[in-house]
Amino acid sequence: MLADFINPYHLQIASFILINILLAISVYVPLSSGQLSLGSAGFMGVGAYTSALLTIHFDLPIFVGVLVGAAVAGCLGIIIGIPSLRLSGVYLAIATLGLGEVIRVIFVNWESLTKGSIGLTGIPQMGRELLKLARNVGIEPAMFGLRNNQFVYLMVFVILLILVIGTIWFVFRQQNSRIGRSFSSIQMDEKAAESMGINITYFKVLSFSQGAFLAGLAGALFAHVMGYISPSDFSYHRAVEILIFTVFGGSEVIIGSIFGAIFLTLIPEVLRFVSEYRYIIYGIMLVILMAVRPQGILDIHLLSKFKRLKRSKGGVR
Amino acid sequence: MLKLTNVQTFYGQIQALKGIDLEVPEGQIITLLGANGAGKSTTMKTIAGLLKPKKGSIEFLGENVTGLRPDQLLRKGIALVPEGRAILSSMTVLENLEMGAYHRKDKGVKEDIENVMQRFPILFERQTQLAGTLSGGQQQMLAIARALLSKPKLLLLDEPSMGLAPLIVSEIFAIIKEIKETGTTVLLVEQNAKQALKIADFGYVMETGKIIIEGKSADLLTDSRIVEAYLGRKSTKVQEEVQDEGISASKQV
Repeated sequence: MLADFINPYHLQIASFILINILLAISVYVPLSSGQLSLGSAGFMGVGAYTSALLTIHFDLPIFVGVLVGAAVAGCLGIIIGIPSLRLSGVYLAIATLGLGEVIRVIFVNWESLTKGSIGLTGIPQMGRELLKLARNVGIEPAMFGLRNNQFVYLMVFVILLILVIGTIWFVFRQQNSRIGRSFSSIQMDEKAAESMGINITYFKVLSFSQGAFLAGLAGALFAHVMGYISPSDFSYHRAVEILIFTVFGGSEVIIGSIFGAIFLTLIPEVLRFVSEYRYIIYGIMLVILMAVRPQGILDIHLLSKFKRLKRSKGGVR
Repeated sequence: MLKLTNVQTFYGQIQALKGIDLEVPEGQIITLLGANGAGKSTTMKTIAGLLKPKKGSIEFLGENVTGLRPDQLLRKGIALVPEGRAILSSMTVLENLEMGAYHRKDKGVKEDIENVMQRFPILFERQTQLAGTLSGGQQQMLAIARALLSKPKLLLLDEPSMGLAPLIVSEIFAIIKEIKETGTTVLLVEQNAKQALKIADFGYVMETGKIIIEGKSADLLTDSRIVEAYLGRKSTKVQEEVQDEGISASKQV
């Protein structure tokens, strides 16, 4: 039955894909206003640690922890975003990368709070809490013919899926609004945007802190899915990985970030049969892509081609 | 309408404007002339709020607007067409025009876009095209049209003729004259002194951050100092030749 189709391993990978989509979008949003931020790993860490500590020490419900974690990361985004406005391009990228490292080093050294590089254990897991909740209202996994762990992974996946769809919907709507137009005009030509009466300070900080909020949200979710976090989860490797999701998939369109996150999370899993060579293959793929298609796999032209193809097929029918 | 008193603007330590006094009366075209590096664009940027003056005051319609942000100034009615046609190249022509009306909340935007397109028929033809694919002159027209959609009381034009063919330049100048006739005041920065003075009512000449000459444009046209400084001839009798040279000079640009 249903139980035969649900493989916890597959569901867990799917959950990671969803978290990675959130992270990729957290790079995409600042980028849509022309700001290359590599601080996502740092903001992710802030979200993760905030939520983990709140739920461990104060017994807060997970959703409160996640919201506060994301909000703290977003506020930090505003604080960092204002002075960073003076920077652009590569300089902003380096500054935000530095920020991420500073955050990581704080996690390592503030041992009384963060337990240093050992990391935090015993973070309430979203799946288990959901199972408890379900049992309290009288729903047993067995009612659907599921084992407990299948039910847990499925619930986590569904919750993440809802959040990711909500985020994509929000970003998509925002893009076609006045705010999105200001973002893209700032990206195209800051001076022109300014002379059109767009308050570029406000919109740049807005997009930067939205990115920070999303990264914090992803980090908090990550903490409650894993149940264990350590500073090395938010190192600069993670920052680069997140950036590659967006750049690989296509940084001009939101679909690109989503595609990049899905594809690049799956690839190491799919290539497991060549075990030790898989990261080499992964690397070679990236090099080739950047040489052949620097704008990423998906861009506006490719998408409009797809659309036309669909339309012409519809016409034949 | 606009009054600058002893405006001084700095780029870091370097003083670009050393005390500018300038006045723009309503309903006229005022032109600001000068060689490269004289501070014309800096003056424009200071008026539009892109740069903040360290000293001095800017008054617009009797109100002190010194140090306001560009978006606040635009709401008050000062629109800048920046140097080098700053258009949004990966948006369509229509989207560019819509962006011009960004801060407006009234319902007349659609109508105004139609009116502007009537004035610039080429923009109507190409409305769905990406702005980056337009020619230089068309881009300049788009930049001007976009600024007009914010319904400015004062339009600041920073070198609209830069890099354009002579024929297009005359077209642009004709448009500027039309804009004035519809009641918008224009402050025009130009290198093309001859043509600018022809359509302007009053002119200022800048040099190294100061205004050195001011006067009615008819007087400036025959002023030997101007002819000397901008057209490379000392005598005023060779004006016809000078005019031709002005055109060939703009060709080279």
